[in-house]
Amino acid sequence: MIKGGSELISNDIELKKFKFEEKKFLKTLKANKKKFKNSLDKTLPYKAKKLKVDLFLAQEKSQFYKDYVALSYDAEFEYEQSNLLMEELPDIIHNIIDRTLDIEKALIEKKNIDPSRERKFKKEFKEFKKEHKAFLKEEKRKLREKRRKGSISKKAQVNEINILKQKYKEKIILKSYESQRKTNKEFIKNTRHEIKENTKINLKILNSNMADIRRKIPIEVEKTKPKVAYFTFLFPGIGQMFNKQYKKGFIFLLASLFIYLIAIPYALGFGNYQGEGIRGLITLAEGGRRIDKSLIFMIEGIIAIFLVILSLFLLYFSFKDVLKVEKDTIKGVRPNNWFETKTYLSEEGFPYVANLPALIVIIFMVLVPVTTTILLSFTGMDPQHQSKFSWIGIKNYKMIFLGEGLAGSVFWLTLGWTLVWTLLATSLAIFIGFILALLVNNDRVKGKTIFRTIYLLPWAVPAFISIMFFSIMLSPNGAISQLVNNIWGLEMSVKTNTTQTRIALILLQGWLGSSYIFLLSTGVLQAIPSDLYEASEMDGATTWQKLRHITLPIVLFQTAPLLVGQYVFNFNNFSIIYLFNGGGPFEPSKYGNLAGSSDLLISYIYKLTIENQYQGIGAAITVFVSIAVMLVSFLGYRSSKAFKEERL
Amino acid sequence: MKLLRKKEKLYLSDKRPLSITGKILLVITYIILISWAIAILWPLFQMVLSAFNGKQEQYLMLNDQFTFSLKHFEYLFNNTLFLQWTKNTILIALATAVLTLLIVSLTGYAYSRYRFKGKKISLMAMMLIQAIPTFAGITAYFTMYSVISSINPGFTRQMMLVLIYTGGGIANNTFILKGYIDSISTELDDAAKIDGCSNLQVYRLIIMPIARPMLALIALWSFIGPFMDYLLPKVLLTSPETYTLAAGLFTLINDVRTLNQPAFAAGGLLTAIPVVILFIALQKELVSGLAEGSVKG
Repeated sequence: MIKGGSELISNDIELKKFKFEEKKFLKTLKANKKKFKNSLDKTLPYKAKKLKVDLFLAQEKSQFYKDYVALSYDAEFEYEQSNLLMEELPDIIHNIIDRTLDIEKALIEKKNIDPSRERKFKKEFKEFKKEHKAFLKEEKRKLREKRRKGSISKKAQVNEINILKQKYKEKIILKSYESQRKTNKEFIKNTRHEIKENTKINLKILNSNMADIRRKIPIEVEKTKPKVAYFTFLFPGIGQMFNKQYKKGFIFLLASLFIYLIAIPYALGFGNYQGEGIRGLITLAEGGRRIDKSLIFMIEGIIAIFLVILSLFLLYFSFKDVLKVEKDTIKGVRPNNWFETKTYLSEEGFPYVANLPALIVIIFMVLVPVTTTILLSFTGMDPQHQSKFSWIGIKNYKMIFLGEGLAGSVFWLTLGWTLVWTLLATSLAIFIGFILALLVNNDRVKGKTIFRTIYLLPWAVPAFISIMFFSIMLSPNGAISQLVNNIWGLEMSVKTNTTQTRIALILLQGWLGSSYIFLLSTGVLQAIPSDLYEASEMDGATTWQKLRHITLPIVLFQTAPLLVGQYVFNFNNFSIIYLFNGGGPFEPSKYGNLAGSSDLLISYIYKLTIENQYQGIGAAITVFVSIAVMLVSFLGYRSSKAFKEERL
Repeated sequence: MKLLRKKEKLYLSDKRPLSITGKILLVITYIILISWAIAILWPLFQMVLSAFNGKQEQYLMLNDQFTFSLKHFEYLFNNTLFLQWTKNTILIALATAVLTLLIVSLTGYAYSRYRFKGKKISLMAMMLIQAIPTFAGITAYFTMYSVISSINPGFTRQMMLVLIYTGGGIANNTFILKGYIDSISTELDDAAKIDGCSNLQVYRLIIMPIARPMLALIALWSFIGPFMDYLLPKVLLTSPETYTLAAGLFTLINDVRTLNQPAFAAGGLLTAIPVVILFIALQKELVSGLAEGSVKG
């Protein structure tokens, strides 16, 4: 691996000598650096001083390494790097010092500004302003006159006035620079900014040039197999330090801290609110104190598991990183320096960083609760076992599917009604909305805007308000009940008769949901090119045929995923059921004490878990509902635009 | 003038003149359209009417007696916490909208413009996650809240609600925004990057202005969500002072102690008007946003 190769032994000796000399050199360099630093002009700006020190170091290094360039790649690397610094740094420093001098000059000038002249200018400026304002007014008046005569349009007048105003402003600003004080102030401000930005850009260029050198000159090491990665994989950060990537190592050390100070202690039960980390998942606070709650033990256990998973990910990442750097070094590729790592991170690491907040929110607000629910469905949490409950296996599921016990028989009845409701209510809304869209889009219908605005209303009025109001109007003394009674002489008992409640609910959802479908199909209908219809007319198609073969397929195809979404929405439409009649009417003989005859699964779950605290069974039904809904919406999503046009 | 009149009589339309059946059909069309319009307007009109009807007490009655009065509104403002509810709802809605926008901007941009490991899998996972009803975690939310609030007493139930709404919307909104950003040409990004823009600058200076309509829509939807939702506030918020409008107004028709149906109508009217105006003003954008995105439950 040693450069040259032929005279191995003599090279070896020389190399050793080089190492020795280098050590000595670096030691003296350190002392010289201090000396040089003290000898520097104290009045120089901080940045310039720092760069000057860098320049000094580069000069010294260049001289020292020059003799060893042929011997070792490291020497060559140091030499090239120093040369680059010597080449580029002087300009940067010069620039800073130069501009700083300019600022100092300006500051001196500022002191010498003649106040009487300034006062004089102020007066002059005021006069100037007045004069131009008067001019502006005059011009405006002229324009108004022109407008009155009708020679220009209103828009032209407004435009002209805006232009005049702009011109006026510019003139004032221009004039204000005639003031010495103002010019001086601006100059200082601008120059300061210029120094900052220029130095930043110059250093960036310098850094990327240095990175180029790093890539060009190989590195030589004696080991042939990566070891550090395997030895340090338990401690992210240490491995990076071994690879001399100190800043990166520091960041990974934070990950280490997270793993050993937060995740693992938490998983073992330290620092928990009540629980015992992962162990709490098994014990569920059994035999614990009276205030210990099984549910809290469960949730903390789940959080602990997520923390552990996160830790494993971090360990894996760090391990991979160290391993890659080591392997590269063996191949002769120099490890990235901090500048390169930073650039890499901002390019390749961006998506990970960008998704981090979303990930955290999703883990804590979605994944942890959902996992809790899934686990709850295997426990016997019910009114008698609120604070302490235990694992009972698949008993809950068995009860539901076999139709036994408290929830089982009601489950199937409710499921049946839920399916009927979903199909009928959604289809009705789709039917009404689509027909209305067709009718309104007829060319000969006038007043389209009015119809569209009216048909939008059921969607725009917050649903809970309409539902509650319909609920009031359909109660025995309500407006609609009385109206029906007056016209047809029918006694309505919507709130107490199961069939009537169900029909009312379906109709109400038709009323509420049609708006959305109407808007949707209107959008699609308007986008259908008219030549399709013209062509079909040429071929002698009837209206029905046009509808059947052109309109329907296009509308259905384009809105399919959204229509699926509507079915899913109604499957879980809690508000309409709960707010309309509280799930009633209640028939204890058939539905037990918990559910009413118009309850959907979702409102049944609500009643089980929130109102009656049968969380175990409720969770089992929730899992069932979620799986069903996921399947259906997966079908809908698969054909959606965002997913199909995936660029991967 | 003569010329003009003559012109009017000419049949100028490029459509065929209507046959008799066509005319009958047109009339039927109008009848259907108008009757549906009535079916929509009548209940809403009833609500407006009962909100202003001074003849009504506690219960809503449909009768011909009507005297204009603002007493239900007075009741609403003086005897209920309507203003407090409105304030709560707006705060929750605003916080949700801002937080959603911040998070989704980043994810939508990252998913649209970058390749990274696990992109497809996480997209799939997100898709499935968003199908789970928010409701599924409700038991856990309750306990989680009690744990967090005992550690940090400053954490209110409303903040919890904001986080839940935001968490529930991330997946869906990411999808919608990703779809929209996909349609923006990447040449613009490349040009900006060559000029030295960083990733965030590309987003802020190039993508954001172009995607503004969709961002506005996402913000709007996240803002309206808390106005429409009843379930979560009902479960999570326990005291009337912290209620949102939906939960608060429901006490006016559900709770015997505070029952006052006309006041509910008045409150409903006040809530509905701004939302309706918003919807009517933005209907075009809303509809195009619907068609643009994917499933919106």
